[in-house]
Amino acid sequence: MPAALVLLTWGTVGLLQKLSTNYLSAESALIWLVAGYVLLSPWLYSGHSIFAYSTRSLVFTLISAVLNTLGAWALLAAMKNGGKASIVVPLTALYPLVVVVSAPVILHESISPLQGVGILCALTSVVLLST
Amino acid sequence: MALPTTLKAKWFWYSLVCVLCWGGWAILEKMASTEIPEGTVQFLFTFGALPVAFVLLAARHFKLEKSPKGILFGLGNGVLAGVGNAALAGAYRSGGSTSVITAATAMYPMITVLLAVTLLRERLTNLHKLGLGFAAAAFILFSV
Repeated sequence: MPAALVLLTWGTVGLLQKLSTNYLSAESALIWLVAGYVLLSPWLYSGHSIFAYSTRSLVFTLISAVLNTLGAWALLAAMKNGGKASIVVPLTALYPLVVVVSAPVILHESISPLQGVGILCALTSVVLLST
Repeated sequence: MALPTTLKAKWFWYSLVCVLCWGGWAILEKMASTEIPEGTVQFLFTFGALPVAFVLLAARHFKLEKSPKGILFGLGNGVLAGVGNAALAGAYRSGGSTSVITAATAMYPMITVLLAVTLLRERLTNLHKLGLGFAAAAFILFSV
């Protein structure tokens, strides 16, 4: 269920990213995206002190947010620099490749042969979608 | 195949930067969400995103375009992206394989493409369609 919600919300986000960069620069679009995060925050705050969590987890969350936001800026910049939404969005959605490759080392998760074939398919799609 | 041309295109390199950043984000979010609940992950996420937004704002000399439509799309973008990110943290907390969850949720471009073709009337070449087919196959294989 959470995964389905991710698909629906982010699928729509892909379209809104293109629409927003029709009217705004990539930087402005990203600033308003973060403003959207701020609007959402009151509904997400549980009321518990964030200092109840380990420093490690807090730092990981904050760094992940920085990386995510930089990635979003790069995506918007790609669209602003001539990339079609229907090409740039699927191409950038191949970030799981990074996870599949690094998860065995960092998270100690293994890759099955099928996932290996998936990596080849993903690389092929990167070339085709980039032409 | 116009790959050399593509390699000279700015949008392609911006896209690769995006892939690397988002790969790192997914790994770190998985590691954090084993302890922190999904709503709190997204709440904290905002504080991590604000410095990047501030730097971009400063780079623009604190001047933003005043397009109401653009602002509305941008805000909606943030709200939906935030809901999706909280849901992703929830999925990671469920204890499944990080690779599988990340790949399964990365299928969202299928919905974007559907919307872009129907609402924005963007056109796809045959190579693009083939590429989408490979992407779909990859996502499915990642999820098996």
